[in-house]
Amino acid sequence: MKRDLKIIGKPTRKLDAEARVSGEAVYGHDIVLPNMLHGAILRTKHPTAEILSIDTSKAKALPGVVCVLTADDVDVNNISYKGDHPILKKGEVNCIRDEIAAVAATSREIAAKALALIEVEYKVREGIFDPFAALKKEAPQLNRFASKEQGKNIADSFHYEHGDLQEQKEKSTCVVSQRYTLPRVTHCCMGTSAVTADYSRSTKRLTLYSLSQVPFLFQRDLAKALRMEPSNIRIIQPVIGGGFGSKLDMHPFEPICALLSMQTCRPVQIVFSREEEFIASPTRQPMVIDLTTGADADGKFTFREVKITKDNGAYTSWGATTPFVMMQTFSSLYQIPACRFDSYAVYTNNVFAGSFRGYGNPQATFALERNIDLMAMELGMDKMQIRLLNANFAGEETGQKLHFRSCGHKDALQIVSDKANYKNRQKSNGTGRFRRGIGLASMLHVGGGAKIYPSDGCGTIAKFDDYGYLTIISGASEIGQGSETVLAMIAAEELGVSIEKVRIINSDTDIKPWDVGVHASRTSFIAGNSLLGALSILKIQLSAKAVALLGTDLDDLIFEDDQIRSGRTGKAVKIGKVVRDIHFKQPHELCTASYYYEPDSEYQDGAFKGNVSSAYAFAAQAIEVEVDTYTGNVRVVDVHVAQDVGKILNPLGLAGQIEGGVVMGLGYALTEELIASEGHVRNPNFHNYKLPTASDIPEIHFHPIETSDQEGPYGAKGVSEAPLIPTAAAVANAVSDALGVEIFSLPVTPEKILQALKEKSV
Amino acid sequence: MNFEMITPRTTGELLQALANNQGSRVRIGAGYTDLILELKGLKCEETPLVINLADLTDPKFTHIEKTDAGIRLGALVTAGKVIIDASIQTELPVLCKAASELGSRQLRHRATLGGNLCTASPAGDIAAALVALEARCEILSADGTLRTLALTDFLVGVRKTALRQDEVLQSVFIPTRKSINKHLLSDFLKVGTRRSMEIAVVSLAYQFELDAEEIIRHAGIAIGSVAPTVKFVSAAGEFLVGKKFSSIGAVAADKFAAMVCAEATPISDIRASAWYRREVLYNISRGIFDK
Ligand SMILES: Cc1cc2nc3c(=O)[nH]c(=O)nc-3n(C[C@H](O)[C@H](O)[C@H](O)COP(=O)(O)OP(=O)(O)OC[C@H]3O[C@@H](n4cnc5c(N)ncnc54)[C@H](O)[C@@H]3O)c2cc1C
Repeated sequence: MKRDLKIIGKPTRKLDAEARVSGEAVYGHDIVLPNMLHGAILRTKHPTAEILSIDTSKAKALPGVVCVLTADDVDVNNISYKGDHPILKKGEVNCIRDEIAAVAATSREIAAKALALIEVEYKVREGIFDPFAALKKEAPQLNRFASKEQGKNIADSFHYEHGDLQEQKEKSTCVVSQRYTLPRVTHCCMGTSAVTADYSRSTKRLTLYSLSQVPFLFQRDLAKALRMEPSNIRIIQPVIGGGFGSKLDMHPFEPICALLSMQTCRPVQIVFSREEEFIASPTRQPMVIDLTTGADADGKFTFREVKITKDNGAYTSWGATTPFVMMQTFSSLYQIPACRFDSYAVYTNNVFAGSFRGYGNPQATFALERNIDLMAMELGMDKMQIRLLNANFAGEETGQKLHFRSCGHKDALQIVSDKANYKNRQKSNGTGRFRRGIGLASMLHVGGGAKIYPSDGCGTIAKFDDYGYLTIISGASEIGQGSETVLAMIAAEELGVSIEKVRIINSDTDIKPWDVGVHASRTSFIAGNSLLGALSILKIQLSAKAVALLGTDLDDLIFEDDQIRSGRTGKAVKIGKVVRDIHFKQPHELCTASYYYEPDSEYQDGAFKGNVSSAYAFAAQAIEVEVDTYTGNVRVVDVHVAQDVGKILNPLGLAGQIEGGVVMGLGYALTEELIASEGHVRNPNFHNYKLPTASDIPEIHFHPIETSDQEGPYGAKGVSEAPLIPTAAAVANAVSDALGVEIFSLPVTPEKILQALKEKSV
Repeated sequence: MNFEMITPRTTGELLQALANNQGSRVRIGAGYTDLILELKGLKCEETPLVINLADLTDPKFTHIEKTDAGIRLGALVTAGKVIIDASIQTELPVLCKAASELGSRQLRHRATLGGNLCTASPAGDIAAALVALEARCEILSADGTLRTLALTDFLVGVRKTALRQDEVLQSVFIPTRKSINKHLLSDFLKVGTRRSMEIAVVSLAYQFELDAEEIIRHAGIAIGSVAPTVKFVSAAGEFLVGKKFSSIGAVAADKFAAMVCAEATPISDIRASAWYRREVLYNISRGIFDK
């Protein structure tokens, strides 16, 4: 059934664009409450040490200081996914982020001065900064709250398998084993971390102005940490200056801020400096991937065997569960008869990782897509051909029981290869200073939510006012990704209200219905479907009244231009008028609807099998680079992205996600790394943390593929993580194509390239 | 970050400010692109005092002046101004290119030439070009006397200059070479991972003067980020003098590159290893003569 769409698919400016660029938007940093205090956190000087004593007397004596807290002053639970993270550290510190004390004072300057007056006596201990060293028998237990079920320094592990590995190995004529090393990178949100806590002495309720991406889970986690009733905590989300997964976990500064407010009964605000942001906000998982893959003589893939060793850092975040996504890529990207997957998150004394756009998939895809190139070379096959031969297809049910009802994998590969002129590219002859090459890579990611919680649903309440304005109260949050705009577009499409007459309320847990949060590229899909449900109820209500007012029947009604019109007579009535009649005339009803949407995906079984998402996104990229063999610098010349987006909802928002994602991927590929040595962060600034600049960004050509998914709103799928996932693999494959040298770690730095060229020439 | 500030408007007021305010808490401020970071990191008991040069109107500080003797650039001339100056474009192209590679447009609008020299970073872009041009520093002291010093003597170490406490850099002077410039050949090669907002991992500034027969008559060459200061590489320059540019082949180019590298004493840090810096310096030095 094809519908003519009027709004969906048309470029629509973000609802908050003007507020954002004019400075009107109120970010977490802009909040000022009456009597507000400023909080600051004293972090350890040494990554690993015993704390012999903490003397806060001088800080307490400083005029303007209202409260100083250490672990001894508070009675709280540990936080984190594994409950292994004390909010304030007692007796010992285990990584350079560790919070030892917190201060609330009447100004930021006084708070900073007070921190400097806290005297801590340390006895420095030796730390372990390499996960392989932490796995050794003689290594001490690094986290005393760890469960130790799986080994004293293993925070979490995953095992998955399908197919007959032995049989497939025997079938393989080509087997490639390779170790891949992935770095620690961080989100670099434009807005640094911030929180304002406001505890009421009289109601005993706590209001938190928090940048969380998952407000309802955050509310639950905070309540557990502070031993409160979740319902006595209200989370209000101000405008958020970038999330990308960094705000999926609750971090210690948030309960610390709450504790300062509860202690002082005054509002308290904590805002990170950029340096603090680099040191104390989460990172992508650094890891080592040992991958073995096989193919038969024709190039058909036979098996994959992978072992992943992740540097968990000192505490365990949601990021430890990234194997959940990585195993999907290893088990199901391209057709694969047998797969065995093991991963271990290993405690170290490094800063700990969190979740980050792509959730393990950029790492997995890097290893996998590099290995495919290596296999093609060994088999003497074309790198495109081997991919097309093994590509996923619509109707496929993979070994992991992912069900690809729609699938643009093959199309994506074919399109980027054609657009980048891959077949007829000029082959580098291996001489000359500047050498060009093209690399290919593809990816698979959830595109219809991810059922990792008892519900992957979202609630919506929609209400019309007497003037025909629609308020949508959505459980789903806007963190900059543009989903609010998509919701308004959907309402405009369905009910003919103009976008300017749509209001979205989505930032207050006291008001909005439940939603699991912003992650897994799920919001437009899940919240969009939820809204469609609510709108259909409203439409029935409005229609019933309009039929009476216009003297016509149901299928004659047209919703357009804020009116409901009879197609036959042309007679129209304003939606506002219809609503007034619903409210003010018999039988006096509210023009309101509520709806809960639960996707038809499955909770996976203990063996991680099951159709975890309602839809799957596929994408391929072809990236052309030019390498300067004098300096090892890689200039990205061209990026072609083909992505199965199901259906384009807002082309402008989509382009933003694609371009932003590719840029993030290019940084991951070429320049970004949070450099740590002996547990210290060596480059906590944009000077030495090399985020790409506008002048480093090439043309990004986007070729959307519309496969019209049966479950997605209008056929759409999640889009937002995909564009960064294959980028690093494609860049490294392009460097290999240009130079004939293989780089197995990220970032692909000029230094690694010169070294590889040098080794090749001797 | 807290600091006090004095803003002299005339050279007289400046000299007085210098005479009255000395000691470890005193700083001079021009475009502040380096100083702000320094002040942020400062952990001193006393509140710093900044003598702010931004409002000085004395053309000796603010202008680019061309005479028969040479070109004088005031310490407060910004990178942005250098780029658009016609006489610099034609006579000191290496400086023009270096200034255009500094930071970003926003930075270039504020960053001064004097600040770039007085910061004495081994990675200073403008410093590298001016060392290649054998610039002389004109230094004003609180008592009003002016002394001149070769830039290579002015830059004494990492973040160390020959300035005394009661002195400011007023201007730099690049004398016109007596030989008739027939033809200039120059470039500023900046190597780093990003194409803007980047501090050089290695830099090479050169300006050659060629006669009508393409014989190199003079070669000014400087290297950055490979030693504690920007360095003038005289031996490699002299090696080129008398040679016809277009006939410098692979062997001579290799020899030249080795001579440039002989002056480098790079270190390894988080941005690159010493090995990489040497390797790249060699490659780009030799690359000058690529056909
Ligand atoms: C983001 C960023 C990017 C940058 N990129 C580059 C780059 O690509 N290349 C590069 O070379 N530099 C770069 N820099 C460094 C800086 O911009 C330059 O060194 C600039 O030229 C400094 O000039 P300023 O006027 O801002 O100096 P200021 O910050 O005002 O001063 C710098 C130092 O010089 C002293 N000083 C200034 N003027 C005088 C004077 N007349 N007499 C005596 N002392 C004086 C000050 O006391 C201070 O110690 C960058 C800086 C930033 C923040």
